[in-house]
Amino acid sequence: MELKKRLVTGTPGRLLVTLIMLALAIVMIMPFIWMISTSLKTPTEVFKYPIEWIPAHPTWEHHLKVWSGPKSFGTYYLNSLKIAFIGMIGATFLSAFAAYGFARIEFKGRNALFMLYLSMMMIPPQVLFVPKFIMFEWAGIYNTHWSLILPGMFTIFGVFMLRQFFLSIPHEISESAFIDGAGHFRIFFRLILPLAKPALATLAIIDFSWQWNDYENALVFLIDERLYTIPLGLQNFILENTVDYNGMMAAASAGIIPMIIVFAIGQRYIIQGLTNSAVKG
Amino acid sequence: MRKKGWLAGFVTLALIAGVMSGCSGGGSKGEAGGADAKAASSSGTVKLKMWGGVPPEAGPQEVMDAWNKDHPDVQVEYVRYVNDDEGNLKLDTAIMTGQDVDLFVNYSASQATKRVTSGAAADLSSFTDYNIDEKMGPEAEGWKIDGKYYGVPTTKSSFFVALNKDALDAANLPVPKDWTWEEMMEYAKKLKKGDGYGFIQNTEPYVDPIDSVLAKEGYTKADGTSNLDHPLVRKWLESLNRMMKDDQTTPPLGEQLTSKMPVEQMFLSGEVPMLNIGAWLLRSSNNFTDYPRDFKIAFAPVPRLEEDAANYVTRGGLGDYISINAKSKHQKEAWEFLKWYADGGMAPMAAGGRLPASKDSDQDAALKSMLGDKGDTYDQESLMYVMFDNKTPTFVRTVPQEVMDLRSQEYEKYFLGAQDLNTTVSEMVKRHNEYLKSNPQK
Amino acid sequence: MNNHWMRRQRRLGYVFIGPSMLGVLLFFLIPAAYSLGLVFTDYKFMNPKVGFVGFDNIIRMLHDKLFYLSLKNTVLFLVAVPVSIALGFVVAVILNQRIYLKKLLRALYFMPYITSGVAVAFVWMLLFQPKQGPINGFLRGIGIDHPPGWLSTTTTSMFAIDIIWVWFLMGYNMIIYLAALQEVSPELLEAAKIDGARPGQLLRKIIWPLVSPTTFLLLVTGMIMTIKTFGIIQATTQGGPGNSTTILSLYVYQNAFRYYDMGYAATISWALFIIILIITAIQWIGQKRWVHY
Repeated sequence: MELKKRLVTGTPGRLLVTLIMLALAIVMIMPFIWMISTSLKTPTEVFKYPIEWIPAHPTWEHHLKVWSGPKSFGTYYLNSLKIAFIGMIGATFLSAFAAYGFARIEFKGRNALFMLYLSMMMIPPQVLFVPKFIMFEWAGIYNTHWSLILPGMFTIFGVFMLRQFFLSIPHEISESAFIDGAGHFRIFFRLILPLAKPALATLAIIDFSWQWNDYENALVFLIDERLYTIPLGLQNFILENTVDYNGMMAAASAGIIPMIIVFAIGQRYIIQGLTNSAVKG
Repeated sequence: MRKKGWLAGFVTLALIAGVMSGCSGGGSKGEAGGADAKAASSSGTVKLKMWGGVPPEAGPQEVMDAWNKDHPDVQVEYVRYVNDDEGNLKLDTAIMTGQDVDLFVNYSASQATKRVTSGAAADLSSFTDYNIDEKMGPEAEGWKIDGKYYGVPTTKSSFFVALNKDALDAANLPVPKDWTWEEMMEYAKKLKKGDGYGFIQNTEPYVDPIDSVLAKEGYTKADGTSNLDHPLVRKWLESLNRMMKDDQTTPPLGEQLTSKMPVEQMFLSGEVPMLNIGAWLLRSSNNFTDYPRDFKIAFAPVPRLEEDAANYVTRGGLGDYISINAKSKHQKEAWEFLKWYADGGMAPMAAGGRLPASKDSDQDAALKSMLGDKGDTYDQESLMYVMFDNKTPTFVRTVPQEVMDLRSQEYEKYFLGAQDLNTTVSEMVKRHNEYLKSNPQK
Repeated sequence: MNNHWMRRQRRLGYVFIGPSMLGVLLFFLIPAAYSLGLVFTDYKFMNPKVGFVGFDNIIRMLHDKLFYLSLKNTVLFLVAVPVSIALGFVVAVILNQRIYLKKLLRALYFMPYITSGVAVAFVWMLLFQPKQGPINGFLRGIGIDHPPGWLSTTTTSMFAIDIIWVWFLMGYNMIIYLAALQEVSPELLEAAKIDGARPGQLLRKIIWPLVSPTTFLLLVTGMIMTIKTFGIIQATTQGGPGNSTTILSLYVYQNAFRYYDMGYAATISWALFIIILIITAIQWIGQKRWVHY
């Protein structure tokens, strides 16, 4: 730890930088604060200027409404958890697998295939909806959670990101293992994956938040209300010509908790990095 | 060995997947429920699904419960879709892919037409036991598509200017029964207090004044080109612009849109004395918990750009056009439900501002339930006038979305001062003509 | 260690990318091919009549003023990407130092990325509100009498969207940089420090080049993501006022799901694809100059 890079030294310096960063952080979480405070306000207070960050008469009514009644958020919550969790595991694993192939094995047509991958990432998702739902209906997964989970497992971004990380792991590491007779599978599982924990955790966090917040796929591919996810559930707060912002924000604040948990767990791995793995020592 | 490690990964993954789908019972039960429904339908009970845009708690749920109690053999379930682009897309996808949609409500003529063209809505002329024209009156005509009914218009839809009666009284202004755009502008000036506004508009009926003109005069001229350069369109642009810039009696449009101005709240809190809106206002204005109010609301028809009252048509007529899915296996049952709904089953919807259109329904009772115990806080005479007694001919908006959008994009630029009046009008005309060229049927 | 074994190991490359390739084939390539076909039809969603129209859609697009305007707006939107990368890098480096409350700060800076989009849009609309919003209140306070109208005027709206987007992307860039910084060898830095490198030099000469593969990743994916996104615009301005914030992806979306004009939407989206392809190709070729693996 003594060797950890240091640009900031001395307690006063550390304190100063911490304070500056904290001040800026408040700007970053303003919508979050507003979300919580709106969930505790009455409708007339939503649009008040100057903005009321702390509600004058906090009420829990909206939170109660979200969790009770026939449209309780419990089902949406479980559905979202299921989809985001399976999707995240699948996506991280499959991306790591493919990224290893692209970054560390020299096979024929590798670069051309990778270019094809990248180009697929560039296709705007809107035009894929129609063919996708024709396909899903044919395959019988339309209006089931699989129509979100299966495509969710394939993220080109993940492959690209992990490829970049794998590329920067020194070649000597695998070279020596190779000479000892280890094949690619063993190198992948025993050497590269442990080394790539920060990158894997990062991808997992980002992928989870994508799946968790995915609104459009869920909208098009899920019809049955019992299958709805949280982003679809939020639509219940859109009334005929107005929006129940208080209820919506109460639901949205509840919806953010799993992501905070995933982030809290994930960030431990991100920071572990090479200092723990002793490979470089 | 190596292969096994690889396999192990997938097995673990599959296991996790299995466990997860197992524990979230909601999903699998949902699918099982669907199967049950089909099994049950063969044994006598018919299950219908009706898709509508009104939140269930604003009436529909009560309607369904009432029907289901009396008809154990035909159970209707209400599915709510949000009546915006995405919600309509969802409904259309469900219809196209043959999901269980037996009945659906269309909220605009252009949506309905789209669905009729695609063969999604059943032609109701095969049902001869219900005369839509006779029940709903002459205004139903506007909902005929190629001369036929593909749905039943069920509500009286009214659009009006809601007025703060107390503010009007204080300024010695009468509640108008027929007024011109200029008179409205004068009212706004007189009622304006300090920095406040005198007149605000919900964005839904915002363009109604020009649609009123064009519905009467035609969106195209005799030679088939755009009629968006009609003098009254100009007048609307100019006068509204004057209200925003010179009189400052109405909010600049750019500001209204990008701050999602809560117009209903601004009116109900007494901040702004006049609001151009529709019957759905009643739902908020009856809600004293969220919108406390200390004044009486009066109602006026939408002011006309047209000088001559005899030439004026106003937006309104009938709405909530309910169609039966042409692919539904239970069209007969759906039809029975629809008739019941239109002839009075829909009564609980009144609390949300939806009055039944059918002459066989109890309109007085509906009106009572619409006002609830808040009747005293409305000027009932003017309410009756805008809802029932006003005999001004009405129109139903039929403009395609593309044209709505190109118009609003151009007039937004004008109201923001980003382009002048002549450019605005000529751009609107040009883009409309382009649209007409690539979509020749209209 | 014979050649046969080496060859077999090399062929394992296909096994590694196989599963992922299958997904790409099913969920990207096949649907994409289908949508390419749509370019030459007048397919309208819901309308059963589909006709072959040849190059009509392409010609229409080339004459479509709104297409060019959206293209211009897209370019203006892209400005946010490098800015957010630079800021994300700075924040990541600082949060990688020995300062207090690191964990909390990291979480706070990542918040925008996971907060509900509706809340984000709403708060920014309130903040940007020209008359009563706090941003203009502040500007008036420091003596600027005519602060900009932000989202509410055609000239400033795209700029305001850029600010929101930088704010949103920064935490995401930061977190990926943080992961990359963990791989920067501490010895290297220590050695440089012993050689007398100042913090600024350390940052520029050593850390920045070392994370260049990540910067490249963020630049390429950030551009692609930004070109494809429209949620934030849909939630705030819907492309307005006028059409001053209509970017290409939003225009595709409107044509597809508002007007149901699938043929034309497919055409624009393929144009969009070609644009992304060109931008990415330029970056790919350019990377040799500054990305160090």
